[in-house]
Amino acid sequence: MDILQQLLIPFTDLNLLFLVAAGTLAGIFIGAIPGLSVTMAVALLLSLTYSWEMLPALALMLGVYYGGVFGGSRAAILVNMPGSPSSVATSFDGFPLSQKGEAGLALTLTTIFSFVGGIIGVAVLATAAPIVASFAIEFTQRDYFLLAMLGLLLIGSLSQGSMAKGIFAAGAGIILGLVGMDSIGGGSRFTFGSLQLMNGIDFITAILGLFGMSEILYQLKSLNEKGERTSLKKMAIPPLRFIFKFLPLSLRVSIMGVLIGALPGAGGEIASLIAYDHAKRTTKKPDRPFGEGAYEGVIAPEAGNNSAIGGALIPLLTLGIPGDAVTAIFIGALFIHGLQPGPMLMEQSGDLFWMMVGSSVLANVFLLIFGLLVVTIFMRVVTIPKQILLPIIAVITVIGAYALNNSMTDVYWMLGFGIVGFFMKVHHFSVAPLVLGMILGPLIDTSFRRAYMTANDPGVFLAGFINSPISLILTLAFVFTLFSQTKTYQHLKNNITKKVKKQ
Amino acid sequence: MKLKKFGYTLCVLTPLLLTACGGGDSSGSDNTSGEEDYSNYPEQDINGVIQWGEGGATDNISRTVAPLVEDELGGSLVMENREGASGATGAQYVYDQPADGYTLLFGAENPNLYQVLGISERDYLSDFKPVSIIGQSYAGIVVSADSEYDSLEDLINYSSENPGELTMGTSGEGGLPHVASSMLQAELDTEFNQVPYNGDGPLATALLGGEIDATVLAVSAAQEYVESGDFKMLAVINDESLDAVPEAPPITEPYPEFEKYLPWGPFQGVFAHKDTPEPIMDKLTTSFEAAQEDEEFQETLDNLGVEPMNIHGEEAIEFLEQNQSTSTWMLHDTGETEVSPEEFDIPRVEEEE
Repeated sequence: MDILQQLLIPFTDLNLLFLVAAGTLAGIFIGAIPGLSVTMAVALLLSLTYSWEMLPALALMLGVYYGGVFGGSRAAILVNMPGSPSSVATSFDGFPLSQKGEAGLALTLTTIFSFVGGIIGVAVLATAAPIVASFAIEFTQRDYFLLAMLGLLLIGSLSQGSMAKGIFAAGAGIILGLVGMDSIGGGSRFTFGSLQLMNGIDFITAILGLFGMSEILYQLKSLNEKGERTSLKKMAIPPLRFIFKFLPLSLRVSIMGVLIGALPGAGGEIASLIAYDHAKRTTKKPDRPFGEGAYEGVIAPEAGNNSAIGGALIPLLTLGIPGDAVTAIFIGALFIHGLQPGPMLMEQSGDLFWMMVGSSVLANVFLLIFGLLVVTIFMRVVTIPKQILLPIIAVITVIGAYALNNSMTDVYWMLGFGIVGFFMKVHHFSVAPLVLGMILGPLIDTSFRRAYMTANDPGVFLAGFINSPISLILTLAFVFTLFSQTKTYQHLKNNITKKVKKQ
Repeated sequence: MKLKKFGYTLCVLTPLLLTACGGGDSSGSDNTSGEEDYSNYPEQDINGVIQWGEGGATDNISRTVAPLVEDELGGSLVMENREGASGATGAQYVYDQPADGYTLLFGAENPNLYQVLGISERDYLSDFKPVSIIGQSYAGIVVSADSEYDSLEDLINYSSENPGELTMGTSGEGGLPHVASSMLQAELDTEFNQVPYNGDGPLATALLGGEIDATVLAVSAAQEYVESGDFKMLAVINDESLDAVPEAPPITEPYPEFEKYLPWGPFQGVFAHKDTPEPIMDKLTTSFEAAQEDEEFQETLDNLGVEPMNIHGEEAIEFLEQNQSTSTWMLHDTGETEVSPEEFDIPRVEEEE
């Protein structure tokens, strides 16, 4: 009974209700603007709410967190510029959808399934937090390495056209991701003695440049051609059967999202990529091919990244370990407000746990409401003439790049990536593998080296891939995914289906 | 009609954008007035540059002290994070701004080690003036609860007999565990297999998951796990035991030879460019000193496991010298650095006495 009461605190306290709502709404807009990160917004709130009571402060921060992760997909769908790293995967099919005039439908679908994902994340948080937490800490560096390698196999799905070009782009991305100070050995890589390069290249500048700026440059080519204006199809409300049709998929990717989100070394960006990959592999007959506006291709990453929030809160509340960059700030907030985040938190302040669960549910409800309400405003973006829209996007990419670290260096990087991206588009290279390489490269690098250093012996290191159950599953998944791309596998599969049919 | 709606959305977005970019360049064009009158300081926003990322100890302390200092100074402090390269990016940025007191560095212990580790040329003592050293924390050596080592001697004896076999998690070059395990290696002739992680959180995770055998954590980061029975703290790096972890013996109990390095540990402070005019420095130091006396702030420090210091001027410089010489010589003696601290005129600890 106590639990129910604590759970309902945010619903019954008007003040908290309002704060969650305001946070969610602000989060949606902050998330929708590329370069304004949720992390930055929540960090600003930390000093803003310093003198507040703890519960209102946390309620507001949670609202911004949920709203921000969700908001990132708005820009990804409408203008092909992911508002946050975790919505990169949403742009693969989201933007083609809005080019086909179905922006409204894409926005509505992603809102509904973000809600579904978010709620599943909270449900797992509420019911199975200790179990998931113990799974998360069993995840060793070797497993992170395997997870990142699995993510890298996505190149196969992402490189439209030539596979070789995809691999080339991903390789370039990995190398760019390695620039800067090596966090393991402390040495400098490709820095040429420059302190700016020591910092590494922020992959968000790559997202802004490759997706945003290069798209603008590319569209300039056809600016004066009298192309048909993108028309809006009336249908913005998905038929009910859609919801039932995609529910199983969204459930599967949400569970994956929670688990990945709970891992202290992986968050929404990896969850959404893996979810996209899963959707692509398991959907036998998509309405449209992936990459050209498949509904599954926007639903999966959005359900995945929103459920990852619930996941990220699990190690925070049960072990005092942040699940991602935003939850790291929550740890600071708990400290400042006089709590000790750690394994004792649930016992000592159980009310806080249930209040967080309650606020999360509430944030998801507001996300659904606001998300659907602003669809009609957002979808008009598509109908703005290019002569007006493109300059606005250009300004936003520059501001976004500057706001990352308040540094012009990032703006130059962004412009550089814009030009590179333009030529990549002209020569039919997909830009997504490059971003993928930049996100996963550093993770592969550090996790592999840490795993090897911890094993301290090549034999022990290799045996680990088979000895540990988690590693074994991931290794098998990796090998199978590779094998399933080969001709032998297709051949075998055809033979088996033929035999089954004959019988 | 459509445009009107879009204009409306823009109106909503603009304030958001402005707040987000608020931390921009406010470094002054104030040099015209020459050097006479600083009594009006601050005449514009002061930029507070935090050299570590959002959510870390340095970030938390800086962001909580900032509003209090604003009250004392009567101007606003705009805080921003400039992380990267162990904080060297932030330090370099502050150094590159005009020495007019409008850009302050909120930093941790790291710049003391930049020179010897070859990370950057910047250094607290030669490039900055301390406005205030806010507080110091302590470090402890921890193992997981089911570890077979119940005391520091057990751990050290085993690793001396089996050099390189025990895995010690560190937080990278110049981080707390890196320097502390160098300290152990130098004094006690042991050898650990050091594996770097990205800070206290990942280290605690790795220890919980059994990936590493031991690590060195800030007492504030470890304390909860010790209380819950997940970790054992074998020793605190201090000359007496601490209230937060009463069971953990001070390192000087089994190994009195560590006495000469103490006090040693991570610290947080505020720094200004070394050429900042004296009147401005005075105003800053008094404001920061008064701000830290706030009771609520003291409580916050306590929650963060930080022992309040609130020192400035000569006292702060002496503290920095002691900390730097301990850490740099330690790293040098274990062969972790190629350059000798001597090259930067950093005296050895022993010579001080």
